[in-house]
Amino acid sequence: MPEAIEIQLKKGVLELCVLALLSEHDSYAYEIASRLADGIGMGEGTIYPLMRRLQNDGLVETYLVESTAGPSRKYYRLTSAGAASFSAQKAAWSSFAGAVQGILGGAA
Amino acid sequence: MTRQAFMARLREGLRGLPPQAQAEIAADYEAHFADGAAAGRSEADVAASLGDPARLAQELRAEAGLKRWEQQRSPASAAAAVFGLLGLGALDILIMLPILMGVGGTLLGVGAAVIALFFSGIAVFVAGPFSGIPGGPAVAILLGVGLMTGAVSLGALVGVATIGLVNAVVWYARLHYRVLKPALESQTFGGLS
Repeated sequence: MPEAIEIQLKKGVLELCVLALLSEHDSYAYEIASRLADGIGMGEGTIYPLMRRLQNDGLVETYLVESTAGPSRKYYRLTSAGAASFSAQKAAWSSFAGAVQGILGGAA
Repeated sequence: MTRQAFMARLREGLRGLPPQAQAEIAADYEAHFADGAAAGRSEADVAASLGDPARLAQELRAEAGLKRWEQQRSPASAAAAVFGLLGLGALDILIMLPILMGVGGTLLGVGAAVIALFFSGIAVFVAGPFSGIPGGPAVAILLGVGLMTGAVSLGALVGVATIGLVNAVVWYARLHYRVLKPALESQTFGGLS
């Protein structure tokens, strides 16, 4: 059962984490996937359905960067709607996490 | 699993999507394998951490169905969106089916009644003036026009309600599969392969 809880928690914050990474700097899917896989143990393949959804929702957009070796690479950047969504989600997460911590701290 | 086996299963699962979307998605995963190889990882390692290709294809298909519904309100795109979500297991069919059939059946019934009303309006409009209706031909014509406009406005209401219904189903399913449905099965999947 703890496993199921962990999966739900991760899945819920995945979008927030991707937006946070992109708010630092533009990035490509492999880099985002690697950082999330290392950081929160997420399956790397999940990043692609998620990136397509964020793109459909207009939160991120893509551009191609020429590469010296191999084909050009697809980079993602936040749109202004994406940046606004990140601020809102970050604030919501902080207040929620704070509230949960307050309750957990009170329990033995 | 090798890169080739992974890509073959992914392509299999993406069948039916627009060719351009299929090509884009395939290119994304090919690039992932290439980046993995550049970082010194084996194909089997990259494939294992990507997860189950069939499951990923289901998620991508569901996403494409939703996008189509958002861009174009048509019976075909509504069906595509709902079936995509069903395939994902995001809609519990045992719970949703009775509700969908009840509400959908009601909408269908009202829709049929609207069409019948419209045609009876035409009948009154055309035949009424010659049938010696009390009040004379003018009343019959007005009655016919009234029935037809009533049918048209009711029909518009049914259309709005149907769009609302599909939107509600999509909203419900997104809420659930986003939070509940684990595509984070890389650990167990890696263990199996």
